[in-house]
Amino acid sequence: MISSSDVILLAHASFGVTGCLAALWVFVETLSARPANAGRIQAAAVITALMMTLGWICGGYWYVHFYPPEKALILGGPWPFAHNFFMETKEHLSLAVAILALLLPITTRESLHANSAARSLVLAVSGLIVVTGLSVEAAGAIIDHGVKIALLHDALKGAHLWIPPSLQVHRN
Amino acid sequence: MDSTVTSSPPKLRAVTSGFVLAAALTVVFNTLLACAKDSCAPLKNFMKSLTNHDWTTQGLVDLLLFAGLGFVLTRSRTTEQMNPTHVTGVLVVAVASAALGLALWYAMF
Repeated sequence: MISSSDVILLAHASFGVTGCLAALWVFVETLSARPANAGRIQAAAVITALMMTLGWICGGYWYVHFYPPEKALILGGPWPFAHNFFMETKEHLSLAVAILALLLPITTRESLHANSAARSLVLAVSGLIVVTGLSVEAAGAIIDHGVKIALLHDALKGAHLWIPPSLQVHRN
Repeated sequence: MDSTVTSSPPKLRAVTSGFVLAAALTVVFNTLLACAKDSCAPLKNFMKSLTNHDWTTQGLVDLLLFAGLGFVLTRSRTTEQMNPTHVTGVLVVAVASAALGLALWYAMF
């Protein structure tokens, strides 16, 4: 049974990755901007903004309502930096990613095929979204691993592990 | 590639340069606010009292600041005459500084 917490968390990560891919799409199309692909660039920029906004809403809801117990687990486990460094940085850097994603559709309204300065701007904005967005995704994976390690640490503490004889190392 | 452009150097529309500078200022403000609320408990508590969570308040403040500054800078048309390369440079430096600032702050805090 998948809980609503899991659905929201997976949706958050999925929207974020899709937003990064859409920003990469904008970047690649802009490298060869011409009148024929102006519509595609603008559509991809709107998709980037939409995906990042949905990722922000899902992530924010999950962070406020479901994260506190996991935070307590992480802080009590062997990887407290998963919260103290990675979550703290991620939760604030993701706000910057969202602002950049909202900016992207505005910048793609320029005549990119005729304006080299506008092309450079769109390449910069979309490139920044890809780099910072993927950094935020990576931080999410480390936070998730911080929870896993804390749970494993708790489960193994004081537990007697049965190891099959075939896997046991015999020391003489 | 720029065959359709006249001899004048390419410019950005007022709305583009206005919102780019608004984004740069908002991203830097976001990092400063994150550091300020961590080092000033009354500020964090005040932000928490507004929406039940300081992070939610920060997100809404960022959004309002970006939209507000964007409209003000666009209407003032002061950014329209800025060199487009400088506008792009300001945004890149702002985002890089903000990201590095957050990482350093939480590495040491």
